[in-house]
Amino acid sequence: MNEAQFAHRVRQQLEAGAPLDARVLAQLRAAREQALARHRPAAADEVALAGGALGRLGGVRPVLLRVVLPAAILGIAFAATYIWQKQQRAAEIEELDAQLLSSDLPIDAYLDQGFAAWLKRRASQ
Amino acid sequence: MAQAARLAIALVAALLLAAPAGAARDQDRRWAQLSTEHQAILAPLRAEWDRLEPAQRIKWIGVAKRYPKFTPIGQQRVQTRMKKWVKLTPEQRKQARENYRRISKVPPERRGDLKQLWAEYQALPPRAKP
Repeated sequence: MNEAQFAHRVRQQLEAGAPLDARVLAQLRAAREQALARHRPAAADEVALAGGALGRLGGVRPVLLRVVLPAAILGIAFAATYIWQKQQRAAEIEELDAQLLSSDLPIDAYLDQGFAAWLKRRASQ
Repeated sequence: MAQAARLAIALVAALLLAAPAGAARDQDRRWAQLSTEHQAILAPLRAEWDRLEPAQRIKWIGVAKRYPKFTPIGQQRVQTRMKKWVKLTPEQRKQARENYRRISKVPPERRGDLKQLWAEYQALPPRAKP
């Protein structure tokens, strides 16, 4: 059995909900933490490399990249959507008002509470 | 990644700068700053123009841009109705737009002449009106 096959079987066991005693759980936790600890310095290096041009802010850089940048992008996306929707709505109202004001009926007909309903009922008769 | 960050920062800065710039532009569009063509079309609004909301001014300028495409009778209607329209409350205008949408949805071949129907409706005794 090679490593991948072994890992697959372990995963199957875990997914099946293998009952593990506290000792095994503790070993697994320790192994996981070890693996993460080994992984972390590499990840930090990457961030440092990528953030190189972002100014000499030292420890601020990872925060900038991981928090501020996504937040800024999200904020911009929201703002852009909001502005776009507002403009769409304004354009819609402009079109509607132009049609309404040049239509056959006077404004009073559109202000009347019952006329539209009366007209609809009559047309469906 | 660094480029993306710089781009994001530039965009935020642009957005922050653009907002007050937009607000400043709203202070423009005063009556005196309109083109003579738009002034002629929007003449019925002259007295209240500078008191209109910025969004309303933008909308009316938009209407004025569409105006040359209206039929002569449509142009006349817009001009005679605009003064009354701006005096309505926002709720009344919303209601009127909603009714306009509802009435427009009824197919013309099924409803017939709107002006005639409106006259007919107005002549109904109050009890018969919905």
